[in-house]
Amino acid sequence: MAVTTVLGIFIQGRVFGLVCLLVIMGATAYFIRQAQAGKVPTLRRLAGVDAIDEAIGRAVEMGKPIICSHGIATLRDATTGPQTIAGLSVLSYVARRAAEVGARLIVPVRQTEVWPVAADVVETAYKLAGKGSEYKVEDIQFLSSDQFGYSSNYMGLLMREKPGANIMIGAYWAESMQLAETGSRVGAMQISGTAQTSQIPFFLVATDYCLIGEEVYSAGAYLSKDPQLIASLAGQDVGRIIATIIVVLGGLLTTVGSKLILDIMAW
Amino acid sequence: MSNILRRIEIPIFLTIVFTLIQVVPYYVYIQPLDDAASYIQRWILIVLALATFVGVISILQVHGKNVAKRSKGWYFSVIVLVFTIVMALVGLPLAEVGLGDKNPVYLFLFNYMLQPLSGTMYSIIAFFIASAAFRAFRARNIEASIVLVSGLLMLISNAPLFTVFWPPFKTIGTWIFAVPNMATNRAITIGAALGLIALAVRTLMGIERGYLRGGGAEQ
Repeated sequence: MAVTTVLGIFIQGRVFGLVCLLVIMGATAYFIRQAQAGKVPTLRRLAGVDAIDEAIGRAVEMGKPIICSHGIATLRDATTGPQTIAGLSVLSYVARRAAEVGARLIVPVRQTEVWPVAADVVETAYKLAGKGSEYKVEDIQFLSSDQFGYSSNYMGLLMREKPGANIMIGAYWAESMQLAETGSRVGAMQISGTAQTSQIPFFLVATDYCLIGEEVYSAGAYLSKDPQLIASLAGQDVGRIIATIIVVLGGLLTTVGSKLILDIMAW
Repeated sequence: MSNILRRIEIPIFLTIVFTLIQVVPYYVYIQPLDDAASYIQRWILIVLALATFVGVISILQVHGKNVAKRSKGWYFSVIVLVFTIVMALVGLPLAEVGLGDKNPVYLFLFNYMLQPLSGTMYSIIAFFIASAAFRAFRARNIEASIVLVSGLLMLISNAPLFTVFWPPFKTIGTWIFAVPNMATNRAITIGAALGLIALAVRTLMGIERGYLRGGGAEQ
């Protein structure tokens, strides 16, 4: 297949995207350098992330386990893979806290390639808390690679274990409603989060706290309290400003019959 | 040697290199890099094929222990174990001996058990939505009232019983779907895309370590 290029090297139609990407990456890198120099931006509070400790504490008080899942996506997909990474970052924090307070943590897994990563994250968290002997590999459960096989297994897990907390952060599809509703029925405190726009309403109505869109990706940075990670979030604001300018300019120019923005974006 | 292999820098380095090999050819046309990206895609298939065994091992660990300990509902674990083993055996890619995805037992299990069960699970979502809607659609405050009214209008606009008597219901529903809903949807999509880019930058710079063992902390 012949590829049309700009300047003989850049693929046509993707140059504008590349420029935007480089600007946002540059801004992110700039804010990270600023943080290294001691200038850390203030981060708005994320109620859903703040509630994770509360949910873990509640589960411990009730003597019930915690279920923490990172979604059903693989690590490979360009749009949903990063949600799995974000979910694993949250899992890492939850595992550390669960190990510290002595709560049982169950991790349902759909993708076989993610299972070793999840198991490694949890096992190391237990070892770092000095409780390596309390880690149980059978609590990192591969349920099914089939979407609804996973869903029915997860619901069964919720009904049998009756967890004190059910944390679901990652990419979910049609099973989101089933999981959140079942979690609600068993009385678990639920914290959810996804960037799948079609599933956000389900999580919003059926769980106690819901992380929406970009908050999912920020959760790991927020929980780590690492100045460099927090500073990287400020780079997103530059992207937001660019997006706003393009939307406003595009709307105005298209209204007066100009295709300038469209032409630039097609470059 | 084993200590060197367990250093956290190794997975970070591999992540950076393989991410760049996949991302750069999307924007820049360099034939050898393009070939390398395609070649690595094949590696992924091999890793995935091997990872399948991880799933089987996990199932055997969890359900095998349930059966051995006669835990509550252990007989369900027996069913899982039997079907996992039968499906894996009859599905082996050995067409010469009648196994594989054309095997009648495999086809029976797939067409008459797995598919109907999967379809049933999918279809019962409607009932979950109904019970969640019953709890959520309450006019507790202004925001909840907007959700309630919008939801009702969307329901009405999709019900011929109402649109046949007053056709503008359809127009109202279409407007809610195409204007306020779409605007919000796009805002969330743009925000999520920016968050995704920031996550990618953090990963490429090696500072996003949450997905690594123990959040990237050295043991």
